[in-house]
Amino acid sequence: MLGFWLMSVCRARSLSLFGIDALPVEVEVDVSSGLPGFSIVGLPDAAVQEARERVRVAISNSGYKFPTKKVIVNLAPANLRKEGPAFDLPIALGILAASGALAAGGLEGAGMVGELSLDGGLRGIKGALSMAEGARREGLARLLVPERDAPEAAAIGGVEVYGMRTLREAVEFLGDCAEVCPAEAAVEEGRPVEVGEDFADVAGQRYAKRALEVAAAGAHNVVMSGPPGSGKTMLARRMPGILPPLTMEERIEVTKVHSASGEGNGKLVTRRPFRAPHHTVSTSGLAGGGSNPRPGEVSLAHHGVLFLDELPEFSRTALEALRQPLEDGQVTISRVAATLTYPARVTLLCSMNPCPCGYAGDRRKVCRCTAGQIERYQGRISGPLLDRMDLFVDVPRLTLQELREERLAEESRLVRERVSGARGIQARRQGSPNSALSGRRLREVCALRGDAETLFSRAVDRMGLSGRGHDRVLRVARTVADLSGEEEIAAEHVAEALNYRRSHLVGR
Amino acid sequence: MEDDDRAKYLFLSLLQARVGSSLVSHLGTLAPEAVLRTPVAELVGRARISEKASRAFEELQRAFDPDRMQEGLAARGIEVLTPVDEAYPGPLRSIPDPPPALFVNGSVPDTVSVALVGSRKASATGIETARALGLALSERGVCVVSGLALGVDAAAHEGALEAGGLTVGVLGCGIDVVYPRRNRGLFESVRRHGALVSEYSLGEAPLAWRFPARNRIIAGLAGTVVVVEAPEHSGALITARHALDAGRDVWAVPGPPGVRECRGSNALLSDGAGVLWDIPEFVEAVARESSVPAVGGGSGDANPLPSGLEDTEAAVLSGVGFEPKGVDAVAKRTGIEMPEVLTALALLELKGFVSRDGLGSYVRRAVP
Repeated sequence: MLGFWLMSVCRARSLSLFGIDALPVEVEVDVSSGLPGFSIVGLPDAAVQEARERVRVAISNSGYKFPTKKVIVNLAPANLRKEGPAFDLPIALGILAASGALAAGGLEGAGMVGELSLDGGLRGIKGALSMAEGARREGLARLLVPERDAPEAAAIGGVEVYGMRTLREAVEFLGDCAEVCPAEAAVEEGRPVEVGEDFADVAGQRYAKRALEVAAAGAHNVVMSGPPGSGKTMLARRMPGILPPLTMEERIEVTKVHSASGEGNGKLVTRRPFRAPHHTVSTSGLAGGGSNPRPGEVSLAHHGVLFLDELPEFSRTALEALRQPLEDGQVTISRVAATLTYPARVTLLCSMNPCPCGYAGDRRKVCRCTAGQIERYQGRISGPLLDRMDLFVDVPRLTLQELREERLAEESRLVRERVSGARGIQARRQGSPNSALSGRRLREVCALRGDAETLFSRAVDRMGLSGRGHDRVLRVARTVADLSGEEEIAAEHVAEALNYRRSHLVGR
Repeated sequence: MEDDDRAKYLFLSLLQARVGSSLVSHLGTLAPEAVLRTPVAELVGRARISEKASRAFEELQRAFDPDRMQEGLAARGIEVLTPVDEAYPGPLRSIPDPPPALFVNGSVPDTVSVALVGSRKASATGIETARALGLALSERGVCVVSGLALGVDAAAHEGALEAGGLTVGVLGCGIDVVYPRRNRGLFESVRRHGALVSEYSLGEAPLAWRFPARNRIIAGLAGTVVVVEAPEHSGALITARHALDAGRDVWAVPGPPGVRECRGSNALLSDGAGVLWDIPEFVEAVARESSVPAVGGGSGDANPLPSGLEDTEAAVLSGVGFEPKGVDAVAKRTGIEMPEVLTALALLELKGFVSRDGLGSYVRRAVP
């Protein structure tokens, strides 16, 4: 009698996505005599509630019998909010184990996640890589995931990942009736630079390209300013291609974020992300959040490039929300129930027109804006955000004649090599890119001597550099020196860095 | 009698702020009694007055209280000058359409004055030239008159202030209204080293039509008007026209041919304006009557960096023209690698050979 009672409660181990991390969830299933029914408790959201119908039908359609008894499913810990359809598989397996269709011992040491379709097939889920990481942390030996997500999940290592096509396959596998090989990690196909996205395809604009190279080398944020059609977007798209290739650790982080947001494709991301949200993006769309928190564009661009085209058109509140991630490299979303963080280490690339009509200073088109309009337009971007920008580049429009005369441009590959070299120097010297330098560390690393010092103090006087402008020039000069492999910042490095300061369009 | 006249002019100045100056200059010839108390209906018979104007007129007649108005102004330290006052600037009496009243914060200097006007969106060269002119004139004791707008105006005032000289800003709004807001600091400096002047009473807004009108006062206060840089249809050209109407000398700074920003000022030159091709020569010409003698040579700030140029710098400088040029164009013209061009440009800028405009383009400095 006692034995029967114990047998009727079965436990299946599963995981729930929380931010980009997975927390353990235990699925307890009790099948007892009573009025037939099926209920789920333990703070489930709507998608989890609907699991009842999916699980019931999927079990029948897989050739098993859904128990005509009272079925109660508890998702523990009960205080954690559970969302999404990934509990379908553990619930179904738990029910089958509790009703005797599967030996209860089969669930031992295995984690499982997956969404069921009505025919008993398994659909892909969000955050498989994070789940695998969670399973490894929990000491689970095996993790069952939908087949689509297996290559992604397997990338983490330390836990055997099995891709399952159907509920039936899972039952047979756990009941030792079928042999399945652990999945192997697969990386996204493709080269780090997409064909047609090479720097060599952009004619002219050598100044802007040089600036982007410096930005890439020091992970500096950039504002490009120029009239429509000058090639700002084209240049921005090619920025990821000159960044050093993602390391394995970075790939895993990037994949975790993409997978958690539902943008994953079951494989490990290899290319640096490039995200270009439209300027109508909402605050939570850009920074992350929402009632079911999702990573925002700034997190989806983690370890890559976030490109904000037409910067002044973005809503002020959305841009304000970027300040903290730009500062800390992560987004913190606080809720009454919990606080979660998404990583957000990005190179921010912005573009803007010099004035509302876009043609101020253009050689062929007349600008129709008044001085006041131009000033207001430029003033729309908040000071604190501008403080996070290290380079300001003007991108003029080229005439056809000028474009035709341009000689062949350098390939991204060559630029990337120089950038990787400079990043390497920075990693060895201070363990972080130059853009992160501030305060005392900045003064140590960017100490100026001799000519460089003289030149710099002259510049501070004559160009009226502010305190922040001062630090900015130092940081950029350090990167320029790193690019040419020099240990000490020379006068010429400072001089080049001075070109990347902000110019004021109106007035004096 | 004099008080009555003064009341008439104050009344007219308020009326002018509403209806513009053509009606007002006609009324200015009438007796105070006629202006202040004749029913409007009667005036309508004698002059062409629009319905809107006559309504404004009536309203003003009802509300006008010259004593209270003057007390209020005095309390705020603001002087109001009408043609009956001795202190009303002499040169203004001779222009075709003198303002009925001039509100003054500070004091209008009684010296040789030169007006410097030009585009609000001037090029770096234009700004540079305006500042250098303001400075040079000021050093010779010449008062610089301008309109306290952005661009050339602001640079002219600043140049004069830099030399510690006198300068007058003529506004198109009440003198307690700071417009454009950006020039807040400059307004205060100009007030302390000269005067803020307007024909509009306190609190009047900077309406678009008031600016061309105030230009006649800029031209009127100065003996000479210089157009530093003006595109076609620029307000600076209106000032030049007022200057000609008032019999003032008009000069213009020559700009490169075909450049949009200089088309207006170049057209003035082709119409016979004085060619301002050399600042010392010009200053000498206008400051002859000034009491401050020319300073012996060697003034001006000594350039602290060695003025010699390295080979690359000289080569890059040859690639920078008098028309703004982007960095790419300079690099292409000289065939020098980008990082070196950037380095050379910054050094040239620090040495004062080139300047960078708001669009990141470089231009040779007219006055190193």
